[in-house]
Amino acid sequence: MSKETARALVVGGGVAGMQAALDIANQGFKVYLVERSPSIGGRMAMLDKTFPTLDCSACILTPKLSEIARHPNIRLMTCAEVGSVTGSAGNFRVKLRRKARFVRENLCSGCGACSAECPVEVANEFDQGLGFRKAIYTPFPQATPNVYTVDKENCIDCSRCVKVCERNAIDLEMKDSFVNLDVGTIIIATGFELFDVSRYPRLGYGQYPNVIHAMEFERLINAAGPTHGHLIRLSDGKKPKSIGFIQCVGARDVQKGVPYCSRVCCMYSIKNAVMALEHNPEAEVWVYYADIRAFGKGFEEFYEMAKSRFGVRFVRGRVAEVMEGKSSHDLVVKVEDTATSKLRLIEHDLVVISPGVIPSSGMDTMAKKIGIDQTNDGYIEISHTFFGPTITKIPGVFVCGCADGPKDIPDSVSAGSAAAMKATIILSSGGT
Amino acid sequence: MSGTEDEPRIGVFVCHCGHNIAGTVDVEAVAHMASNLPGVAFAADEMFMCSDAGQTLIKEKIKEHNLNRVVVASCSPRMHEPTFRRVVEEAGLNRYLFDQVNLREHVSWCHMREPELATEKAIDLVRMSVARASKLQNLPIKKVNVLPTTLVVGGGIAGLRASLDIADRGFDVLLVEKTPKLGGNVAKWTHLFPSDETGADIIKPLIRDVKKNKRIKILTESKVSEFDGYIGNFGVTVKNLKTEKEERYEVGAVIVTTGFEPFKPVGYYSYGESPDILTLAELQELPRSEQLLKISNGKPVKKVVFIGCVGSRQPGVKGHEHCSRHCCSATAKAAADLRDRVDEVLVLYQDIRTYGKGHEEFHRMARQKHVIYSKFPQNEYPDVIVKKSKITIKWRDVLADEDLEFEPDMVVLASAMIPPEDVEETSHLFSLTRSGDGFFNPEHIKLAPLTTHTAGVMIAGAAQAAKNASESVIDASGAAAKAVGLMAQGEVEIESTVSHVIPELCSSCHTCLTACAYNAISMDETKDPPIAVVTEAKCHGCGTCAAACPSSAIVMYHSTDDQILTMVEAFLCPSPSIQGGG
Repeated sequence: MSKETARALVVGGGVAGMQAALDIANQGFKVYLVERSPSIGGRMAMLDKTFPTLDCSACILTPKLSEIARHPNIRLMTCAEVGSVTGSAGNFRVKLRRKARFVRENLCSGCGACSAECPVEVANEFDQGLGFRKAIYTPFPQATPNVYTVDKENCIDCSRCVKVCERNAIDLEMKDSFVNLDVGTIIIATGFELFDVSRYPRLGYGQYPNVIHAMEFERLINAAGPTHGHLIRLSDGKKPKSIGFIQCVGARDVQKGVPYCSRVCCMYSIKNAVMALEHNPEAEVWVYYADIRAFGKGFEEFYEMAKSRFGVRFVRGRVAEVMEGKSSHDLVVKVEDTATSKLRLIEHDLVVISPGVIPSSGMDTMAKKIGIDQTNDGYIEISHTFFGPTITKIPGVFVCGCADGPKDIPDSVSAGSAAAMKATIILSSGGT
Repeated sequence: MSGTEDEPRIGVFVCHCGHNIAGTVDVEAVAHMASNLPGVAFAADEMFMCSDAGQTLIKEKIKEHNLNRVVVASCSPRMHEPTFRRVVEEAGLNRYLFDQVNLREHVSWCHMREPELATEKAIDLVRMSVARASKLQNLPIKKVNVLPTTLVVGGGIAGLRASLDIADRGFDVLLVEKTPKLGGNVAKWTHLFPSDETGADIIKPLIRDVKKNKRIKILTESKVSEFDGYIGNFGVTVKNLKTEKEERYEVGAVIVTTGFEPFKPVGYYSYGESPDILTLAELQELPRSEQLLKISNGKPVKKVVFIGCVGSRQPGVKGHEHCSRHCCSATAKAAADLRDRVDEVLVLYQDIRTYGKGHEEFHRMARQKHVIYSKFPQNEYPDVIVKKSKITIKWRDVLADEDLEFEPDMVVLASAMIPPEDVEETSHLFSLTRSGDGFFNPEHIKLAPLTTHTAGVMIAGAAQAAKNASESVIDASGAAAKAVGLMAQGEVEIESTVSHVIPELCSSCHTCLTACAYNAISMDETKDPPIAVVTEAKCHGCGTCAAACPSSAIVMYHSTDDQILTMVEAFLCPSPSIQGGG
């Protein structure tokens, strides 16, 4: 491997990919960090607080975002996707598709004048569709790079943004482009997606306005979210007095094709239950679960605190059905409390479903392009549990974070560092 | 760089943090008040100071208004102080001419229900910070070299993995193991649940590679007896436990992989009263055989009971409140495997935590093989009675709502992972703190799980918390990346916010030596009388020495008496032009 190819490619700009990129770059190697959305930060940027310390997620993440942005060894490429991969360890050639963002990155200062002028308002995916953004936008205030993007599907080509931009950064005629990268090693950190909980019609998601999923809840309680952190019901804007959290939806379910445990839902729901009480100490909060899996450092202690200090009520039982009142949009959860063997009907004015974790969309195509194997669940297959938990079957290609299975933040961060270690061994030794 | 002797021209930037601060504190009022303070040349409020827009604003205003001090009133400096220091540096100011006020954790979050009082407090804090800013001084930016060797403490699976990765990357390793053999807990296990392999299958190739590698120096039956120095330049004394001989080494970084110990559950479930009551770790160490035989009399085992959470998940019991993470999955696999060889297998549990990759499948497989899972109530533990070598177990099944009884031939207690006996010693040696579970604290539980508060010292594997062998291997490679990151750069910046002894004032009383928690102060014996000196790379800037010094001979750079008293004065005597607060 020549000096030219002593570079790494990291695919995915979530917390695992960011950590991997930083640990490679800190050893003096160049890294391309490729992210398909307009900003790095991944799912963690959307979360409100993190378990078990209730750290504000965005607040602990943003220093990493700016570290990436200013690192001299990291070349950040957003709105970009892997097109094809050829070659072998030490000498990969990667064709990258750079999707037109219709704003020239080198000219945009992120001033936001364009967005203020834009007449089009659409639902903001970053807020899970609960808030609005313009057709020219950044997903969130600390988006990195701080460059605007035109959502061409919703843009009406009025060109008002073009006129108002003092730096002439906007080009509505921009086309997708392709770049070739020569790299010695590749790290896959493509993360996860949430299971579509409307596939359980009996739980009412998508039918009843006050049944929401956990990521929507995160945005609702977030001070930078669509309600400025006011926890309200979507039907009438009232403060919910009784909230139920439903666990294992799209997880540990053979019939729905997700037989595995999603590993994070127990803890994020306990955290969300505690946050609901922080927002409204008078509320009643219930969690319906199968097993509480509080297995990580400080997790059991947090679970205990949720029960004893906050008074979150835990009911062991899989929810049979969520029903809605005729006029009020209030809800009733039907569940067998298996600890007492009693069938119960419990009234709530808000129900939060905890969706399981599934591989990110596009995983199949990407795995094929690179030639790596997938498990039955669709995640990337690792070479060996003990010898190579971050190594794939293709030499020189590594994996970290949720790309090879659900993980929480610290486990994703550790795996990011571990994959970086493996990648730099290749970069320093000059090949396979 | 602008000198610190100039008239202060302070810029104050008040952050909304979205709604986090602005939802409670009247940020506009705070910024307006600040603009009237003496020395303030510019004040403004902004949505997110940490965003690119916020950072650019600071840089632009420094240029535009010729600012020579910057105050940002936003969140805890623990997260963004490095960000803003860099910002002012990029604008040509010394990074220590920046001060941060914590309006979020210290004001808006804790006084959410009293917005008016919160705003008053914010005004006080900003006023004090501005007063302090006018007294801030340039401090030098210092770097130290990093020696290209890493000390790995503990030769279990994590220590072996970390050593190999570092050596494969081209750096030297000093691997210290207290027992005569490498391999740790994993090596002892004939069954490495929840996998199909034996511990030897996994550990032997690692040991072979480590022994073969010329870059790794292995010291078995040895312990680190002394540890000093600072990031990049640690001094290590390693004592051979057999010969008692000590040898001195110098290393640039350290990875602590001291692992865990299986809890011996004496006092739980009649453990010790019958040889047929054993821990999961002891089961994993039994020789592989066609048939499972009773330890007591060698007869075949027909009925086995596993009990979960033994010495784990006990709130209120020190060092046992944590979940031991590995046991549910290991139990599921062990139970499923054993079911092929014995008639009945029972698992008594509180929750089934088969969270890992493929682990839920082991649990399902166990059930398919008719392993019986029975949930016992929280805090109503099963009773194990040993009478005339017969074991009886009585418990309440929550789901059937029944009291049950069973006479197993063998009882396996899934006992907790606890820190090794000498964990206290290790924690003092490397200045590591421990959490409630007894294991070492990482630098940050979410985003820095492998580094610690001792710069240059990493932790990996079960030294950090209960975890399984696969997770330990991931940690180990990750910690290796951190060590290599330091060594590959060859040098590292150190903080200048350290203490300094003014030799003329030192009375040689040694008070500071005893006060310092980091061994950062020593006496220069070449002087008569000896005079205290600070090793800056070891100093954490805590200020304990400065407070303890009876002669006021110690200056805390960046927190000088003058800087602190100015803040007190600003709090007590607000300038008359300022409304509110005080």
